[in-house]
Amino acid sequence: MTLAFGLGALLISVALSTSTWAFTRQTQLKQREGDQMNTAVRNARVVRGTLTGGSRPEKMRDFLAALPTGALSSVVREQVSTSPEPPTTSSNPAVGPFEDLPESLRSTVGAGSAAKMHFRADDVPYLGIGIPIPSVDAEYYEILDLAELEHSLERLAVYLTTATVLASAAGASVGWWASRRTLAPLREVSEAAEAIAGGFLDTRLEAEHDPDLAILVSSFNEMAQALQQRVERDARFASDVSHELRSPLMTLAASAEVLHTRREELPERSRSALDLLIEDVERFQELVSDLLEISRFDSGAADLQLEPVVLSEFLRQAVRHTSHRHVPVISSPNSDDLVVAIDKRRMAQVVANLLNNAARYANGASAVVVQYRPDEAEVDVIVEDEGPGVDPAEQTLIFERFARGRSAGARGSDGGSGLGLALVSEHVRLHGGRVRVENRMNTASNPAERDNEVKPAVDADVDSALDTEAAVVTGARFVVVLPVREIAESDYPEGLDT
Amino acid sequence: MGTRILTVEDDERIRSAVKLALEDEGWIVDEAATGEEALERFGANPSDVVLIDIMLPGIDGFEVCRSIRRTSDVPIVMVTARADTHDVVAGLEAGADDYLTKPFAPKELSARIRALLRRVRTADPASPHIRIGDLEITPDDGLVTKRGEQVHVTKTEFRLLVELASSMGRVFSREVLLERIWGYGYFGDGRLVDVHIRRLRTKIEDDPANPRHVITVRGLGYKLQP
Repeated sequence: MTLAFGLGALLISVALSTSTWAFTRQTQLKQREGDQMNTAVRNARVVRGTLTGGSRPEKMRDFLAALPTGALSSVVREQVSTSPEPPTTSSNPAVGPFEDLPESLRSTVGAGSAAKMHFRADDVPYLGIGIPIPSVDAEYYEILDLAELEHSLERLAVYLTTATVLASAAGASVGWWASRRTLAPLREVSEAAEAIAGGFLDTRLEAEHDPDLAILVSSFNEMAQALQQRVERDARFASDVSHELRSPLMTLAASAEVLHTRREELPERSRSALDLLIEDVERFQELVSDLLEISRFDSGAADLQLEPVVLSEFLRQAVRHTSHRHVPVISSPNSDDLVVAIDKRRMAQVVANLLNNAARYANGASAVVVQYRPDEAEVDVIVEDEGPGVDPAEQTLIFERFARGRSAGARGSDGGSGLGLALVSEHVRLHGGRVRVENRMNTASNPAERDNEVKPAVDADVDSALDTEAAVVTGARFVVVLPVREIAESDYPEGLDT
Repeated sequence: MGTRILTVEDDERIRSAVKLALEDEGWIVDEAATGEEALERFGANPSDVVLIDIMLPGIDGFEVCRSIRRTSDVPIVMVTARADTHDVVAGLEAGADDYLTKPFAPKELSARIRALLRRVRTADPASPHIRIGDLEITPDDGLVTKRGEQVHVTKTEFRLLVELASSMGRVFSREVLLERIWGYGYFGDGRLVDVHIRRLRTKIEDDPANPRHVITVRGLGYKLQP
């Protein structure tokens, strides 16, 4: 906008300046010329009058100098047609010899026509006027010094140029100021819109003094308010629905248990039906529980109850707590005693969900590995398996809600709620960490050894380049990255005794 | 004589299903659909365990719990909707010994009840009383007195006190206490211990805010000192 104003001002002032200057020059010159022409004609008549009758002033020069004229010099040439070198008298010999006058002027006058001409001599501008006086066989010239006029025009040009520059600068400033006034608030609005899109639904704009912008601000805030309420209502809805489902599920769970106790008494078909029923009641419970959990994230009600734990010990307990008790927990030497502040309930769910996922899609997890990276103040908790891996195209998608990979196939009997990995992602993010999945390839060495191994990088590259065998996926690796910071006294829960 | 459980639940289908399941587990089940009914029944015929859903019409579950606590130290289990809201702490503060979130498996409930009904560690015959400052604890009788006057504590609070006293000065971690008193493993809810310690302090300490006997050792747990 600044540019537009600046350019606009520039263009207008340039146009004005050039036209002013051109006009001025034109009129000034024309006027001078016109005036001078009249004067020259008058003087030519006087000269004619004087030369007619054969009388010639004794001191031609003084006579010429006495003629009323603004010219620098007046020149008379006599006997032009009869003499090979007509005597020439100039009122101001300092001006220069007659031959300095341009050829074309002299010849035109010599041919019998009055003429005027602009010319330069020694870098000084002159106006030459020539009037033939045939009745006395003479020519009358006047030479005008235009230097002063030129200087005036030059000065005018300088003033106009300065004015143009100033006007352009002023235009640019106005443009800049206007853009700040109008664009800055617009930028604020777009930043606020971005914040809202990013999830900060309580973003609002501050009141504006400018009446035009005040309307924009109030409309925006109204819209944001309505949006926030709508989103919160939707989030509460999912939570409320799941909440309502708890009661019927309670009855289902209790009744299923009662039936299960009497399973042996049931006929074959009833037994099968019961088994199916119980499995899906369990699945239903899991789904409702997961839905409630995830809706707490959506409504912003999720809070972190941090507690310092020895991470490797915690993970061992967490694994033992699941139905995949025998998955080994391996920690690198510098992670053995690592103490981290985590939310035990949430991280236990992360471990369980990752192990369940491995069981579902990869024949079970092969190990849980802990690797501390002190330089980045982060620790990796890695759940590895030896399954088919995850297609690179799906490696981000699988953490979305209800996303099921192509490799998942039909919803099997052990299909989860579809929220397992989404919950992992949310829990981990709440801790300020992140999670990703990558494929294990047959060219990589055992990750637990990688820390201690000093691998010559060059050799490795050469080897893999020479590898005739294509790199094969040997499994997947779910990497949970958690920030590690100094544990302070205040991190230890003090109970509820204050 | 079997162990009697009083279930306080307004949803009749849940009530019926839970009764069936608990009876299978060997418990004798009394039912109440409202808080008022529960207090009436309990008053007339006190059960050994009470199970209360906090969401009741009329007087809520917390109020029922508090009322029962005025006259009885019976183990009370609250049924809450969510695990991580202040419902849990409110229930515990009202006097509950443990909680379960709906929906729960009746088997799980049985396990909780069995843990809460565990007998207190019997006293060493050589020293049947444990003295801590002004307090005297008689494990066999389940009695606590302060300067001669009886202090009314719940069964769980008593067991907690006796456990801490069994190794005077030793620090017990939350995990250990959750295991010994409540039968939970590593992932038990630490708030159970925290609230019970607070309740204990309110009852036996001269200045609960600055306890002399029941001490918090930050980062490690709790201990009892004379």
